[in-house]
Amino acid sequence: MALTEDRVARWSRQLIVPGFGEAAQERLQAARVRVVGADGVSSAALVALVQAGVGRLWLDDPEAVGPADRAGWLFPPASVGSDRAAAARAALAPLSAYVSVDAYPTGGVPDATLVCAPSAAQAMAAAEAARRARIPHVVVEVDGDGGAVISVPPGAPCYACARSAAGGGRPPAAGVAALASLAAVELVQLVATPEVVGAGRRIELVRGMTSVRPTVRLAGCACAEAPAQG
Amino acid sequence: MTAPVARLDLRAYACPLTWVKTRIALERLPVGGRLELWLREGEPVESVPRSAEEDGHRVLSVEAIPGEPPGAYRVLVEKGAAPAAALP
Repeated sequence: MALTEDRVARWSRQLIVPGFGEAAQERLQAARVRVVGADGVSSAALVALVQAGVGRLWLDDPEAVGPADRAGWLFPPASVGSDRAAAARAALAPLSAYVSVDAYPTGGVPDATLVCAPSAAQAMAAAEAARRARIPHVVVEVDGDGGAVISVPPGAPCYACARSAAGGGRPPAAGVAALASLAAVELVQLVATPEVVGAGRRIELVRGMTSVRPTVRLAGCACAEAPAQG
Repeated sequence: MTAPVARLDLRAYACPLTWVKTRIALERLPVGGRLELWLREGEPVESVPRSAEEDGHRVLSVEAIPGEPPGAYRVLVEKGAAPAAALP
């Protein structure tokens, strides 16, 4: 299905990015992306995914908007105390008529997952669920100086192999937004241009400087085995 | 001579849509397929052929279109086999 005239105009800037194109945009448009954690950390990523043209965003966050979320891009002061997924949806919906934003439907099967979970345990659980389903996923880790983005295409070393044992704290708002934006770009690449995505990788963002390294499977990790079908 | 397999009149469009529409049309062609573009003079006829060459395609000709008002150009492009650039 070819992109319609209005969609070509809407995404004209990214349609001319080398390595991208109509087929990539169509894959993005057809994708269902689950975002685990819709707080201030993921705000910039959510905006970027909506603007990029992901077809359907599922926000998986049962919590309420907290005072710390106001540092993100989505939550006005009046939203503190309200349902976080609903508040994020209300802020994102006006950004694009081509993207549907909803709360994650229990049992919904996404095409990709972005993990911005508030705790390491939740991040591990969400990443492992995506790995078992062979769904490409990206995990955001924040720490006091910045953080890291771990990109996991199907079959790559899992998040448990690539995660940091350190961490803690939260970088300034600008650092969080940069990290989240980077995660959104990684996810867009996994979904839209899987043919040019190589192995998994870990991108460190520390005080504004990035470094990239391929992820390596830990000896004995279960991710070396193909998950059981069904 | 191989006949153009597609024609695109882009005289009503400005940058970046001139190149966006050209790129999409080229994406739909097989390697070696030809695309005839109609472009306005100035920025469109200068930048679209340059972008096409940078993307690995061959610009076969650029000429004024006979019978059309002055300032209209026909650009013939042959799709190249350049692989999609790897993303960073």
